[in-house]
Amino acid sequence: MRLLALFIAGPALWAVLFAAVYALHGIGCAGLTGPESLGGLWRLVMAGVWIAGLGAHVALLRALPAGRGGADRWLPLTGGWIGLGASAFTLFPVLIATSC
Amino acid sequence: MTDATQGAASGGPDESPARPGVQEAEELAIPRNPPRPALALHRELHRVWANDRGLWGQLTAVNHTTLGLRFMGTALVFFAIGGLLSMLIRAQLATHDGAFLDTELYNQIFTMHGSIMMFLFAIPMLEGLGIWLLPKMLGTRDMAFPRLTALGYWCYLFGGLIMLTALLFGVAPRDGWFMYTPLSDATHSPGINADVWLLGVTFVEISAMAAAVEITVTILRQRAPGMKLTEMPLFAWYMLGTSVMMLVGFPPLIAASVLLEVERAFDWPFFDVVRGGDPLLWQHLFWLFGHPEVYIIFLPAAGVLSTLIPALCRTPILGYNAIVAAVLALVFLSFGLWVHHMFTVGIPHMALAFFSAASVLVAVPTAVQVFAWIGTMWKGQPELKLPMYHILGFFLTFVMGGLTGVMLAIVPFNWQAHDTAFVTAHLHYVLIGGFVFPMMAAATWWMPLIFGKRRIKGLGEAAFWVILIGFHGTFFIMHLTGLMGMPRRIDVYPDNPEWVWLNLTSSIFGFVLTIGFAMFALDMILQATLGKRSARDPWGAPTLDWAMPVPSTSYNFASLPGPGMWARVAADVVLPLARGEGVLPGAPRGRREVLVTSVGGARPQHVALLPGNTALPLWLAASIGVFVLLMLAGAYALAGIALIPVAVLVWVWGRGLAPAGDLSPVEAAPGLRLPIHHHARPSLSQSGLFALLVADGALLASLVFGLAFLSVVTVGPVPAPAGGGGADTVTLLAVVVAAVALGVGAAGRAARRRSVAWAGVGLALNLLALALLAVVLGGLDDPTRHARDALRAVLAAYVVVHVLVAAAMSAFALDQFRRAEITAEVAGVLPAWRHWQGFTAVASALVAVAVIAQAGA
Amino acid sequence: MRGLPSLLMLPLMLAACDGPLSALSPRGPVAAEIAWLWWAMLAGAAVLTVLVLALLAMGFGAPRPARARVWIHGMGLWFSVAVLTAVLAAGLWVGERILPRDDGAVTVHAHAWQWGWTFTHTGPDGAEVRSDNLLHIPAGQPVDVLVTAEDVIHSFWVPQLAGKLDAIPGRTNRTRIVADSPGTYAGLCAEFCGLGHARMRFNVEAHAEWPPLLAADDADTADPDREVRP
Repeated sequence: MRLLALFIAGPALWAVLFAAVYALHGIGCAGLTGPESLGGLWRLVMAGVWIAGLGAHVALLRALPAGRGGADRWLPLTGGWIGLGASAFTLFPVLIATSC
Repeated sequence: MTDATQGAASGGPDESPARPGVQEAEELAIPRNPPRPALALHRELHRVWANDRGLWGQLTAVNHTTLGLRFMGTALVFFAIGGLLSMLIRAQLATHDGAFLDTELYNQIFTMHGSIMMFLFAIPMLEGLGIWLLPKMLGTRDMAFPRLTALGYWCYLFGGLIMLTALLFGVAPRDGWFMYTPLSDATHSPGINADVWLLGVTFVEISAMAAAVEITVTILRQRAPGMKLTEMPLFAWYMLGTSVMMLVGFPPLIAASVLLEVERAFDWPFFDVVRGGDPLLWQHLFWLFGHPEVYIIFLPAAGVLSTLIPALCRTPILGYNAIVAAVLALVFLSFGLWVHHMFTVGIPHMALAFFSAASVLVAVPTAVQVFAWIGTMWKGQPELKLPMYHILGFFLTFVMGGLTGVMLAIVPFNWQAHDTAFVTAHLHYVLIGGFVFPMMAAATWWMPLIFGKRRIKGLGEAAFWVILIGFHGTFFIMHLTGLMGMPRRIDVYPDNPEWVWLNLTSSIFGFVLTIGFAMFALDMILQATLGKRSARDPWGAPTLDWAMPVPSTSYNFASLPGPGMWARVAADVVLPLARGEGVLPGAPRGRREVLVTSVGGARPQHVALLPGNTALPLWLAASIGVFVLLMLAGAYALAGIALIPVAVLVWVWGRGLAPAGDLSPVEAAPGLRLPIHHHARPSLSQSGLFALLVADGALLASLVFGLAFLSVVTVGPVPAPAGGGGADTVTLLAVVVAAVALGVGAAGRAARRRSVAWAGVGLALNLLALALLAVVLGGLDDPTRHARDALRAVLAAYVVVHVLVAAAMSAFALDQFRRAEITAEVAGVLPAWRHWQGFTAVASALVAVAVIAQAGA
Repeated sequence: MRGLPSLLMLPLMLAACDGPLSALSPRGPVAAEIAWLWWAMLAGAAVLTVLVLALLAMGFGAPRPARARVWIHGMGLWFSVAVLTAVLAAGLWVGERILPRDDGAVTVHAHAWQWGWTFTHTGPDGAEVRSDNLLHIPAGQPVDVLVTAEDVIHSFWVPQLAGKLDAIPGRTNRTRIVADSPGTYAGLCAEFCGLGHARMRFNVEAHAEWPPLLAADDADTADPDREVRP
């Protein structure tokens, strides 16, 4: 059970980060955060959350226990990398894409 | 043992042997039982595990082999019906002004074609495959919850029959298999057509949830001793991924269906823009299910490929660990792409870009698998036997479907191709390529184990070629049809002569495809009836599913494979297992016993006693069916009354779990004495409850997402300030949450001290919470006034249902105390009640916060 | 096996893909950008299909060493990531280029109902001109279409000018279409909307002069009772 939990930690972090940034985008576009002039600032907030999330991924990778080797070590590590890769790849548009 | 630093240094997949577990398993030594005559063992086991005789025996069967095959057989019937419907569609489209069907009927037919293929063919097919195959492959005798298997089957059958009956009477759903509102709401789709879909599909999905729970538990808790999670057959990893996805993916669909049905029945305006609802909420919830659904269908098929390719190439699979990682990546990523079905609804480009990137990224784990399979073929010596034909058909078809999938993930191209025949072509390449071809490979592979017969030479190959030619002839050209502008779901195109030759070609080859499927079915029927007897293990397979007689027996294994046995090829262990040298041989105590092992290392923990043949699942499914039919008829008051027999039968179901008979420990192998499950924790039921709570949490999350979506994204009339924000409501809600939370403490004390008094306190607290909730419900705003009011009422109802169940569980505990079924050793329902009460406490606190925040906003 | 015929069929397909609703015969820069994206992706997909099938065919030779580092890391991971990144970048780039911008483009209004379209543009005298199932736009300049719906979800699509955009009750969506030259272009409803879905067609007329001087029987053909503002 512990192995499974470590295995899914990285992708689970991606899921949380992806949902958080998407929600922030929705909130920003709904204008709940004030006048439209906040647009540029809001993008900075989203980018900040994204980069902090990437940092959390790196921290997770470093914090993974050494394990007993073999698959016990390999699976959590791979899960961590999958999470980091997914967060980097799916959320980089926060830097470049036009928003609402 | 692999060097610990190697994986860390490279961070990559070290080539692992296919049976990496042999050394590990030696840590766990279980001595063999003395051999016994195989025939005597067979008779002893068969008496206990076989179905009852005759037709009644079919109705009371709970055996996974019987029900798995029945799931698959029924799914094939629905596949044939769905296929016939598609022929009607193709006949209509063969000419530009087809007068074959009128538009109303045409709309019903394409809606039913999609719905049948998705909900009544693909999903039950993969459930059936998992239910039939997993216990055999993992080295156990049945699924964790046999009665649940049967309940799922009956719900599937009855739900499917309701939908088919509607089609016969011309009142089938007609709003597309995606049921977009407002087209499917009461104004634009009067009559019961849409209700048939909403109620019928939800009824069928009971079977999906049941299958998901028990597949999860069976894989995690019933593997052969010593079969570590990281060494189990890849098919089990795929099915674990599938079942977890079903636990999280189906609740959004169930939530959406319930909301839309409530809107249609009681005018609660969840999706009505005039009253603050939003049609896009339906789309989000539907595709939150709908896209993971595609991978729910694909993963078991890929699991079949990862099983068959190495076996047919006589070599271990290349990159076991990498494939496990790919499954993990697919499970998660597939929940982050649903919006690519909604690229044209007017979402800002940045959000589209997130989902475009995720949709593109999901191709990476798929590519990892494809190249692992091809690498395996390079490594080994592929044999061009019949299953391999279908595997090659898979590669050809699925690679192209995957590539058009990447194209559709690209936003600008999607804006052109969306809702055209291009997408029709793509999805058939993916689903027939990625599911039907692997399933045909699976059928030809496992037929000897199902019927004990060899196939008739020649017909299978001919069927393959006809299917392949028919398929590509139908759908390849459809890409072009779509790019030339033909939208989906039109029945005539009088102004577009340029589409005629394309459609005519598709129609002609469509009939070729159908002939091919008919030939395939004929081949299977001939094999089952006229085939010569098959030898045991005709493929020389490496997996446990072949380490048994053909056709397989009702109990699978006369003794369960222990460490050092499951890791061998089937031929090496089949005799020792049949002679009872493995763990837990025979059925000397005259009851259905399986071994329960730990999640990670598969260490033997206890022996679970499974229930025998019973008609209870049939009665329960039938009583749910009565409820569904009354809802369909619009007799809502009667439908409410119809829930009483459902509740009574659930209670009876729970009574069936009570301990009975000899509860003393069982000697599973020399020196290995194991307690039976009443005396051991965590039990299978507890694992099942956790799986169910995961799904329940996903349901709550879907509803909360809906409330957040309506509050943030929906542009609509602002609701009148919510009532119920007053101090008295806040206080009431706080007291409810406190009562339920105190109930957790009461349940915990009742469980620890086996205290009847604390169980009584728990019941009283739950009843108090229910009484207060009734007051809160009365104080909520009229739910027909505004979508947010309606969703708050639904959240409150969610809490009411959960507290009701908690109250029933505490009452059940009191009843168990009264019958003296709870003793110092036997905890009865108490642990389950405590977990349920805990979940209810957290859920009600969340809902209270949401309701109060909404009222304040 | 199947990839090669798809390449051979290319000339045939090019000849065959003309048509009033064909996304492959673009008549404006927006549709042209997407068409080029398609042809580039098709070429890449054909090459990849041939590659995978060739590797598969070679698998039927004698057993030979297959290393995970090559197959899983090299092909499965990095090769696919490289290809996919390129495709995604191209898609985002094209997407950004064809988005509607606040650049003072002519704005018209498309209102969808069961089953037809009511279009509105500003006439020469500044008054709103409405027409059923015929949209007037200027040629040679970007036009933003505000898309709304009366009853159920529809979708506005003129394949030769741009991609589609859904018309959703309660929402106003904006899409950009451009026609290079004057002429008539075919459009349709792309989202299933009930019994009349197949016949929910319309035309777009691009005018060299803007606003156009319409003959009396051309102008304001709309049903006057229909309320077109959402």
